[in-house]
Amino acid sequence: MREDICQEPLLVVNNLTLKHRAMAGSTTILRDVSLNLQRGEILGLIGESGAGKSTLGNAILGLLPPGFERTAGAILFDGKALDGMDERQWDAIRGRRISAIFQDHTASLDPLMTVGAQLEETILATNENVSRQDARTRGVELLRRVGIPEPRERYHSYPHQFSGGQRQRVVIAIALAGTPDIIVADEPTSALDATVQKQILRLLRQLVNETQVSVILVTHDMGVISEIADRVVVMKHGEVVEQDVTSAILDTPREEYTRSLLAAVPRLRISASEDRKEAAENSDGRPSRDEMIESDATAPILLAQDITKTFAGQGLRWFRKNARKSALRDVSVRLGRGAITGIVGESGSGKSTIGRIIAGLETAGEGKLEIDGTSFDISLPGRRSGLLGQVQMIFQDPAVSLNPRMSVGETLQESVRFGSRQPGDEKPNVAVMMDRLGLPRSLLTRYPHQLSGGQKQRICIARALLASPQIIVADEPTSALDVSVQAEIVKLLKESVVEQGVSMLFISHDLALVQELCSSIYIFKEGRVEDAGPAEFIFSHSQNPYTRSLIDARPRRFTR
Amino acid sequence: MKAETILALWKRPMGHGPSLPKFLLGAYMLLAIVAPLIALQNPYDPLQIYGWEASSPPGTVGTGGFMYLLGTDGLGRDIASTILYGLRISLVVSITSTAIGALVGLTAGVSAAYFGKWVDVVIMRVVDLQLSLPTILVALIAIVTLGPGIDRIILALIIVQWATYARIARGVALSEINKPYLDAARLLRLPISRIIFRHLLPNSIAPAITLIPIELGHAVALEATLSFLGLGVPIDKPSLGSAVANGFQYLLTGQYWISLFPGLALFGLIASINFVGEDIRRRLDPRSRSI
Repeated sequence: MREDICQEPLLVVNNLTLKHRAMAGSTTILRDVSLNLQRGEILGLIGESGAGKSTLGNAILGLLPPGFERTAGAILFDGKALDGMDERQWDAIRGRRISAIFQDHTASLDPLMTVGAQLEETILATNENVSRQDARTRGVELLRRVGIPEPRERYHSYPHQFSGGQRQRVVIAIALAGTPDIIVADEPTSALDATVQKQILRLLRQLVNETQVSVILVTHDMGVISEIADRVVVMKHGEVVEQDVTSAILDTPREEYTRSLLAAVPRLRISASEDRKEAAENSDGRPSRDEMIESDATAPILLAQDITKTFAGQGLRWFRKNARKSALRDVSVRLGRGAITGIVGESGSGKSTIGRIIAGLETAGEGKLEIDGTSFDISLPGRRSGLLGQVQMIFQDPAVSLNPRMSVGETLQESVRFGSRQPGDEKPNVAVMMDRLGLPRSLLTRYPHQLSGGQKQRICIARALLASPQIIVADEPTSALDVSVQAEIVKLLKESVVEQGVSMLFISHDLALVQELCSSIYIFKEGRVEDAGPAEFIFSHSQNPYTRSLIDARPRRFTR
Repeated sequence: MKAETILALWKRPMGHGPSLPKFLLGAYMLLAIVAPLIALQNPYDPLQIYGWEASSPPGTVGTGGFMYLLGTDGLGRDIASTILYGLRISLVVSITSTAIGALVGLTAGVSAAYFGKWVDVVIMRVVDLQLSLPTILVALIAIVTLGPGIDRIILALIIVQWATYARIARGVALSEINKPYLDAARLLRLPISRIIFRHLLPNSIAPAITLIPIELGHAVALEATLSFLGLGVPIDKPSLGSAVANGFQYLLTGQYWISLFPGLALFGLIASINFVGEDIRRRLDPRSRSI
């Protein structure tokens, strides 16, 4: 981009090799990593978990935990070697010349200090000869700059009074307080909803353009890279696979690994061209979305009608502002036999709650629920209403979805033994299921902590299927996994539905995933069904502004 | 607890270098096990006891043809043998009651967390009530209500101990209950007993387990206290506590050995259990793994 200027790079990493020493011996975390960073550039570091991208980020910040050792190479910042400096020397650099933004915006801020006080503290610590009065003026200015509305009024608010996106903006403001040359941003948008992510990335780009700060953006998300990075470094197992300008990486990746990463990213199809046949059946004239839902001829396996749930407010009764908060309001969901129906929404939209109500894990105040013609009283606990046991679930985080004290074999056998089979049905075979899901049988004697994330999630799928349910609710089953693993899991889910004849409710925040899997989609917002209809209708014809904003929030690069 | 953890515990030398408490505790255990083989007299057998040799000072050679190394008590029983046999009773009572107490407490705590509502309220209020009373008082009330006997004193010690385990296990279980693997167990509609014992309990006991070694020391001391007060084990089967009590009224007359030697044995036992227990606790406690 700025190659014509040809200036000295701000940061140079030269053949860096890092080892981690533990009781078990030493492991090489980074091997022979070289890269450089120009002023005013956004450099993306992308890789899957274990690629060493965060370690590299921490090394640049001088924040490596004890046990790490540099065995070769160097990190040069502005011509000076960064490693081997003592804490006092680091103090002159960290926060002042190199600062950081982390993923968890809640943990990055002190909950007991106003954001203004935290900004002031940072400004005073990183700038000499600044009076408290000046610091305050600059703090307000920084808040304004990162797009906090009414910065003077919000200056004295506490972190919990801000939304997630605004908190991350405050964190960015604090990172800017020392007027740094480099910001290391480690997954800065991964904890945010898609629409907010887009805004934060736009802000980062704008700040880079205005202040010529350089950003090292550590991420696992090709979408984020495609949106704002100037150059990309692709990492795998501690080594640099390839590095180039972003457009080259995206359009003409040289390495097989980069190609596979790109291929694994789910893509959103917006033009109706590909599924025109299906669309043509429905779109003579302008059908309303209700018509389209009702037009599903087969009897649904699941019918949820007008479900309303309220939560008691938190805190002491006298101090509650609104005593009852509504989690779901008049939500109706219908799932066709053998179909996959998607529920999409941002955090707090109630999409997980409806899944848990349908599975019988939570009760609801009002509403009707029918499964395969039998109606259940959802105001009763699931065990009493008989709803529990009808539906199986696949959860988001496979790390906590398996009992750590039970071997894989025990977990799966339990599912077979207690599953909801009709009398006379054949018992499913654990070993056959393992084969079908591509799991080696040798895993049966292992414990969850000995498995990879992808393996654990497959075991969770096997557990759900082995109980022979008619319906499976999958709640963000791929969000905690690496992209390449994500694609495998999605494929497995799709195959399972066809082979096992189950019906699936697929809950996700990712529109592209839902589009890939689901025939019809419900879009949730603030506990209500905001938009609903066949996938084709939602993506190509829906006029709902919220649906449009969700679609627009997708990285353009991965939209066809 | 993982098998590896237990293994590591035994593989590594505990603490820094050889230590007196570990040696002492090992010796106590060994002596208690082989007591009938090495004791010169069975203090529970009236035929081996000669009443006219009561209160002999240490070193006296008795009718049986052996030396009373630590003297005899007011009934003519060999103090050394009484200590060996008393050790057995003290250890059996405290180990049994601690083990059962932990099991009962953990189950109660985990059940309170799982069932919630009134089950939780009832169990935890009993726990609160009990922990607000002095331990010795609870034990006294239990003994007075239950009557004397070794089985009763074990029961009394269980009643004293369970509450602490229940409170800790409930706290851990409450955070485990919200994890998806328990949702998955519920979705299978497993029997409640299976959910509790197979899924919830094994994942909630780790922090409470670290308490066991320390509680064991308390149990030995408490049993001794009760026996000393004459509320513990029956008079004809002296534990260390009642052995101390036996000589209590002779202390001022110069017959120091009747109380002193059992008292020293008791002191050494409790001290070694506490030192070794603290060491084990530190090793099991994940928060102090770094040592």
